[in-house]
Amino acid sequence: MSELSSLQKEHATTITDAGKVDSVLRELRKIVGESNCTASKHIRYAYSYDLSFVKPKLPDYVVMTETVEQVQELLRFANKEKIPIVPYTAGTNIGGLTIPERGGILLDLKKMNNIVAIDPESHVAVIEPGVSHAKLADALYKHKLRFGWPVGPPSASVLACAVSHGIGGLSAKYGLNSQEITSMEVVLPTGELIRVGSCAIRHDAWHSCLPLPQLDGLFKGWLGSSGVVTKIGISVHPIPPLLKVFTVSTENVADMYSYMLNLSNYEMCDDLTAVSWWLTQVPIPYPFKAKPDDSPEWFCFATTTSWTEKEREAKTEIWETVFEEEQKKGTSIKQTVYPEEALRGRTQLPSQVVGSTKNYCKQGGAGISWPGTFTPAKVWGPVYNKWKDILVAHNLSPAVRMTMYRGVHYGMFRAMIPFNKQSAEETENARHAIVECLKVDLDAGGIPYKPPVDFANEINKRADPGYLDLLRRMKKFLDPNDIMNPGKLGI
Amino acid sequence: MEWKIAELKELEDKIWRCTACGTCKVAYDYGPPPTFGEICPAGAEFGFEGFMASKGKIAFARGILSGELPWDEEFLEAIYKCTVCAGCQNQCELDHKPYIPEIIEAMRRRAVADGVGPMPLHKNLLQSMKNYNNPYQGPRRVRTDWTRPFKKAGKPIKDLNKEAAPVFFFVGCTGAFNTAARAVPTATASIFQKLGMDFGILGENEICCGSTAMRVGDSEEFKRVATKNLETFKWLHDERGVKTIISSCAGCYRAIKKDYSLSSEYDKVMEGIEVIHTADYLNRLYKEGKLKFEGELHWKVTYHDPCHTGRHLNKFIIDEEGKQLWKGAYVDVDQSECLYEQPRDLLKAIPGVELVEMKRNRANSFCCGGGGGVMTGFGEWAAKNASLRIQEGADVGAERIVSICPFCHFNLNEGAKRIGSQVKVHDLTELIDQVLVGKSDNQT
Ligand SMILES: Cc1cc2nc3c(=O)[nH]c(=O)nc-3n(C[C@H](O)[C@H](O)[C@H](O)COP(=O)(O)OP(=O)(O)OC[C@H]3O[C@@H](n4cnc5c(N)ncnc54)[C@H](O)[C@@H]3O)c2cc1C
Ligand code: SF4
Ligand code: SF4
Repeated sequence: MSELSSLQKEHATTITDAGKVDSVLRELRKIVGESNCTASKHIRYAYSYDLSFVKPKLPDYVVMTETVEQVQELLRFANKEKIPIVPYTAGTNIGGLTIPERGGILLDLKKMNNIVAIDPESHVAVIEPGVSHAKLADALYKHKLRFGWPVGPPSASVLACAVSHGIGGLSAKYGLNSQEITSMEVVLPTGELIRVGSCAIRHDAWHSCLPLPQLDGLFKGWLGSSGVVTKIGISVHPIPPLLKVFTVSTENVADMYSYMLNLSNYEMCDDLTAVSWWLTQVPIPYPFKAKPDDSPEWFCFATTTSWTEKEREAKTEIWETVFEEEQKKGTSIKQTVYPEEALRGRTQLPSQVVGSTKNYCKQGGAGISWPGTFTPAKVWGPVYNKWKDILVAHNLSPAVRMTMYRGVHYGMFRAMIPFNKQSAEETENARHAIVECLKVDLDAGGIPYKPPVDFANEINKRADPGYLDLLRRMKKFLDPNDIMNPGKLGI
Repeated sequence: MEWKIAELKELEDKIWRCTACGTCKVAYDYGPPPTFGEICPAGAEFGFEGFMASKGKIAFARGILSGELPWDEEFLEAIYKCTVCAGCQNQCELDHKPYIPEIIEAMRRRAVADGVGPMPLHKNLLQSMKNYNNPYQGPRRVRTDWTRPFKKAGKPIKDLNKEAAPVFFFVGCTGAFNTAARAVPTATASIFQKLGMDFGILGENEICCGSTAMRVGDSEEFKRVATKNLETFKWLHDERGVKTIISSCAGCYRAIKKDYSLSSEYDKVMEGIEVIHTADYLNRLYKEGKLKFEGELHWKVTYHDPCHTGRHLNKFIIDEEGKQLWKGAYVDVDQSECLYEQPRDLLKAIPGVELVEMKRNRANSFCCGGGGGVMTGFGEWAAKNASLRIQEGADVGAERIVSICPFCHFNLNEGAKRIGSQVKVHDLTELIDQVLVGKSDNQT
């Protein structure tokens, strides 16, 4: 943490040239007011690092906007002056995505935190970037509605998670949180305000991106590099009154995959997730600790919700059939009691306890990164076994999670890797292991999500040239001066 | 007397437990139903991440330790724009949790040691402490002004300088010198007299508890007054038979209970002396059936938990030896000393009073905005923050907001004035004094 990258040092010397700072700051003050912008080092410093292994880098300015018009004006100005803009809501993405590669303006959107509308009849909510999971959960519950809450900090942004293809606790049922986006309002890097989805046709219709051409894709998964999203519509869902969580364990990853595949065919779960023994531990052991011989290696929780007892019974019957089938195959499957605290942390979301990284980092200390991927379920087994070798060789716990998305047999496959960030050596050890894991996964057909630049480079190395070319052209088209979160896509 | 007050450097390993997850930024509880509220007064006012909760303060601490953040005027100010309310601490679950207010104050101590801190207005306050032994530039004799009505009524309060009594009422500087808060000692003493308690005060010889000095980072000044006070407590115990020290001030109470325990002599000095807050003391009497109320107060009230009688009294269980988890691991929090229920139980016991809760209460109470030297250093912001709290009370339909701290009392009043709110601010003792039947009344 103590050293800034050499690139950053160079940049810092140029931009801190007093005249330039003053003229930029003067303009920023005109746009957002004096109390909403700063070039003070201590404030910039607080934005220069995150949880991950990504090296800290300082922005040159921090700006907080309060209105869409201010965002527009800011982007027009930045585009004219070719100053980088990094959109930020809470900085908890675990991938250094809001750490500025090339300085510039860090745009903190936390003050744009209105829940613009909740339509309990149509099950749509419209939110601004600063709306946190905690705030939305509180507001939705009053209508007995829910959303796919991630296991992340309750203070993090719903919008940032959704536009970054985030994953919540309803992913087996509804897919990714980005798939829940029904409309978007975006300020383009050149300052124009545009809308995609139904709200583009009628300003108060936020119900669907389809059947229009899916221009929403231009702003999802771009890591803040294609525009500033100022509003999204999202699907929200009623909360069924009955919860039942089926928990099993297996001795190995292959048996767990077999069970998950079987169960996911019935498409009856809200969340279908398996975690390795190391991830059931609160916290993840750091450094690596061997699993006790008498403990299974894999645990799974299949979260189901039902409207009636009969529905719950029917789901239980299906689950029992699956379980028996798996037993008949001779796998190591067993019904199990999932460790209580870990289970609570995964089903009572958003969770302040898990969000505060207790389950992950309490022993490791300050740092956490992941090889977080979308990976075809059929390669989970072999990839896990390789990951385990790599991680254990680095004295790190193979705390791996596998989550089936919407019954389509691919899903989140990731290892949560805590590390001691106080030590540069231990941080580098974790980074090295994680990048190694990532290469294995990419070569097996997986794709990292919310990727740090290290990962983006690995993706691009393997990418079809046509894909990369199109990506570059789209980026150039939207952001001719490359001001939006430059460098993050690794292109 | 040795004092174990940590320097920032000593806390470095703790500082490196923070993941920057930002969970400390909001008070959130899963429920169900889930509840959400802002928890950081500084974050709510200034917005930037550096101001925001312990996440921001840890960033500052790291920058100071690594040398990347040298002092400048603005940075210094940022370190002091925090009420040290510990709202952020309540949200965190990692190993540095127990030390979060300590880390904030250690940065201030560092600023003072480096000759840059505290803020200019704090310097006046500290000078006043040196000159007058109180932070209000109040001459010694003014300290007893509040007792005049008692003398006039022929019910003088016992002077422990001259006489013995088992109970020492530690009045505190705010109640004594801040005219707007004088209702607090007055009501307290009135209650004690009605109860026929044998209690006394030190009058002009009482000196500041040192809380404010500690909060703004002047540990030397804190040690000076705290050492004197501890010596006085011992003398009061040995020579005047004092067994109980009662305070109606959340700040003094916290200082004596918690900050003084950093002294090597604390256990020895305090042997045979109990320190108790008036609300706790009265609640005990109430539970024993010794408080009798007459008449009714048809008031809809809400209760504001002062930080210093609430989450600041958390006791953290730490695995010092590494037997349970690992060395230095934060294991759990024991809230049994936090005065959450006692004042509420008393309020509920007052005939006619209807108690309504604000959304943010108990461990997630939203600070009034006056603590950590903010009322002195940034009075305008302190009052603005208090007005948010007043509004929160008004939003749940409360006509009165009750607390147990003269500091909160003063600041909440300022907040109410600022927004022209009809919500009235009271100390709990004022309500009790109104309905309490005195011993003599009892007999008639
Ligand atoms: C312990 C822990 C567990 C987590 N678990 C999960 C999980 O289960 N699922 C999951 O999905 N995530 C998880 N996360 C990651 C993260 O918390 C979420 O993705 C979170 O919602 C991101 O929100 P943020 O406000 O921190 O975004 P930030 O980190 O501030 O931003 C994320 C990205 O979005 C961009 N961005 C932000 N706002 C805008 C905007 N308005 N327009 C355009 N781009 C924008 C940023 O530039 C950045 O690239 C976890 C994190 C932690 C620490
Ligand atoms: S202080 Fe605790 S809750 Fe706040 S950012 Fe650090 S680890 Fe997270
Ligand atoms: S102590 Fe209170 S004011 Fe200070 S950072 Fe924490 S929550 Fe904010």
